[in-house]
Amino acid sequence: MSDAPPAPGAVPAQGSPAPPAPDHRRPGIHRARRALQVAFLLLFLVLLTLTVWPLGQVYLGAFLLSDPLIALNSLAGGVWKPAMLLAGLVLVLPLFLGRAFCGYACPTGALLEWTSPTLRPEKPGLPRRFRRSRVPARAREVLRKVPPFLLVACGGLLLFASGAYLWLDPLATLTRTATVLLYPFLDRLARLLGDLFYLAPPLQPAVDAVNGALMGRIVFARPLTFGLTGWVLGWAALLVGLNVLEPRLWCRHLCPLGGLLGLVGRLALFGRKVDADACIHCGRCEQVCPLDAVRNDHLSTDTSRCQSCLDCADVCPTAAIGTGAHPARSTYSPERRALLGATGLAMLGGLVTYTGLSRFERDVRLVRPPGSSGDAAVLQLCTRCGQCMKVCPTNVVQPSVTKSGLEGIFTPEMDYRIGFCDWSCNECGKVCPTGAIMPLALEKKRTTKIGRAYIDKNRCIPWADYNTCLVCQELCPVPDKAIVLTQVEVARPGGGTVKLGRPEVVPERCIGCGVCENACPVVHESAITVRAIEPERTA
Amino acid sequence: MERREFCRFVGACAVVGCAGGLAGCARLLDWSASGTTAAVRSLKPGRAVASGSTDASGAASATGSVPATSGGASSAPPDLSMFVGNDPGLNARAAVAALGGMTRFVRPGDRVVVKPNVVVGRAAELATTTNPYVVAAVVKMALEAGATDVVVLDRPTGVPRNSFEVSGIAQAVADAGGRVKYLSDRDFVSTSIPKGRILTAWPIVGDIFDADVFINVPIAKNHGMAGLTLSMKNLMGVLGGTRGTIHQDFAQKIVDINSLVRPHLVVLDAYRILVANGPTGGDPADVRTTKTCIAGTDPVAVDSLATSLFGMKPSDLDYLVTAGEQGLGITDLSKLRIKKGTS
Repeated sequence: MSDAPPAPGAVPAQGSPAPPAPDHRRPGIHRARRALQVAFLLLFLVLLTLTVWPLGQVYLGAFLLSDPLIALNSLAGGVWKPAMLLAGLVLVLPLFLGRAFCGYACPTGALLEWTSPTLRPEKPGLPRRFRRSRVPARAREVLRKVPPFLLVACGGLLLFASGAYLWLDPLATLTRTATVLLYPFLDRLARLLGDLFYLAPPLQPAVDAVNGALMGRIVFARPLTFGLTGWVLGWAALLVGLNVLEPRLWCRHLCPLGGLLGLVGRLALFGRKVDADACIHCGRCEQVCPLDAVRNDHLSTDTSRCQSCLDCADVCPTAAIGTGAHPARSTYSPERRALLGATGLAMLGGLVTYTGLSRFERDVRLVRPPGSSGDAAVLQLCTRCGQCMKVCPTNVVQPSVTKSGLEGIFTPEMDYRIGFCDWSCNECGKVCPTGAIMPLALEKKRTTKIGRAYIDKNRCIPWADYNTCLVCQELCPVPDKAIVLTQVEVARPGGGTVKLGRPEVVPERCIGCGVCENACPVVHESAITVRAIEPERTA
Repeated sequence: MERREFCRFVGACAVVGCAGGLAGCARLLDWSASGTTAAVRSLKPGRAVASGSTDASGAASATGSVPATSGGASSAPPDLSMFVGNDPGLNARAAVAALGGMTRFVRPGDRVVVKPNVVVGRAAELATTTNPYVVAAVVKMALEAGATDVVVLDRPTGVPRNSFEVSGIAQAVADAGGRVKYLSDRDFVSTSIPKGRILTAWPIVGDIFDADVFINVPIAKNHGMAGLTLSMKNLMGVLGGTRGTIHQDFAQKIVDINSLVRPHLVVLDAYRILVANGPTGGDPADVRTTKTCIAGTDPVAVDSLATSLFGMKPSDLDYLVTAGEQGLGITDLSKLRIKKGTS
């Protein structure tokens, strides 16, 4: 199309010298938007990469609290942090700019946008046009109604003190995916490249230097490993895969954060405006809209979706689209009956969670990281983002699979066969955005009991094999040793006597750090295991 | 499907395939020593002339600054030197100088590996890890003697970075001009231990065999099983693999490793010693400040002398008894020429 304001087909009939219509096209905004998206994604990744021991001043930490969904959940849980003010700002923004957060800032949204199937732009500088939706029209109508119901469901869970819906949060999703998939991959990649270059002796000092710089940051003493990799990969693949059905289908219809911002966007005071006289109803704006915000008559905007990217303005052949106050709003409002039904369902779901029907397993091995204020608080506050797992230098903080039930999937737990709670580290509490794990001073953490070690005397080497071993006692970091050796001279089953020291736990000294369980040389299940000390959940 | 789309699809498949291929390479490059035959390696022969005959040039050039001594006034370097003073670094310098100076061990152009005890991350005041000033002094002495590369390494039981940084050793080494090497699987080579009686092969850090000089810089402290961990036990830190299983027939295994790994120089830090709840410690009440440093070339002799700091005898430690019986070194303190002094 040409830059001449009025297209030939749309020349107004009256008057020969037609007044030039004001041109609202802003091609530069696409570059700015792309730059912002890249910047936010980089910022996010850099901050997450810096989330390692020892934490400096700059790390991801409270970044997630600027997410209104997480901030609201924490507020409802009685946690107040100053970073939540930022979330308030994000929540007010849709009044003026629609869901600009989704289009300009959200790193998950950016990744989903870049992985959506697109068509080439008709002209350089114009937006790439998305492929049309492959969802049937009827199903699309249903999908457009999803956000309000999803919000009602989330609200139901919130009411019943369950943060399980935060699994759906886009920022938490990205943090979780990067933690579980990206960083273990980088660890192995760096390891492998190091191994390869080490084959050339002249390169060895350089490899050592790089390895030294990356050690404990990207490369770890033992390769990083996380449970639930398949789950997280599957979830990420699902979000990307939905793009095939419809570009950014997740952002458009399913994201609860988008739904929440859209709720405010319904009241938008400022937004996309179409000059009804100039519009030729060509439908380009509807096709190019990344968030499906253009309604059928092309004149009104679903302000609960519009991300103010102005892609529509640029493809408009008549320059009919601009911005202004009091946009024509056309938002879907559920009928009362549908809303009541959804509320009832949400209540039922919350009730099922709350009454513990879904909490199937109460595991004596469920030990939470130091600073977590009880199982119930973790389930309520935890964003399932996995920053605590990212920052842990020993990899001991792992996503829970079944131990805390369906609701507790991906909440943090300790797996002492993988790592141990290091004496010189208290970072998981610092990075937790919500207070599911409270920050503890190092001195306080060192005396905080999170579990208690028990010796399995049927398998412990000095007890069962009549052989010497003291690894658990040797490495116990408690200054006065929570494991003591009792020297005995005992008869061996095969005859003869043997002198050895047998380990025993001093319960009042043990803090449950799990160094013993981690180092125990008994293969497979350790002969000394840390068990939960928190009483069982009753609801 | 459009051509462009097809190309993109093929490209994506190629990326996924390459990632898979890389993962496959990782298996081929498996550096863990299991399954491979043990290499036969030993430390490079020491340049130092055995104590008894004099290395005039080296000794003379380095003993210039040795303070007052109370040892025998022989011109030959003593077997052991033991210095007491208020500065851990100066103690180490004096102790090494008394043995003939670092030039006796390190020649210009040498590559030196230093092995301190960095078992876990604890402040130096808790006497869990080798005093950073002692490590720094050893690194500096080696550089002053002309070493081109001084590598400080250990395999902590704690998190490597935490251990090196919290103990202050990472900073001390960097300031002194050496470099800390964090060990990876690729650094461990399954090595045959020909004289080993129980431990006949084990993955050992290859760097100590490649280096021209290997200096052991342990700290003296209490240990639940060994009784004391001194220089011989400190060599556990060059072992790879699953070390938990080492703790059966512990004394013999310590001797076995020492039969293969014979450091060119041992500088034992006893500025602060841990008298109980070792080897990790953590309670200042268990720390005694003895302000001592012992140096020598015979680890058995160094450890034998160090037992006196704890009010013990060499015969109290099983591994010293075994080492003596196997002729690995001298445990009888009366047979050793010991130079004592204050720095």
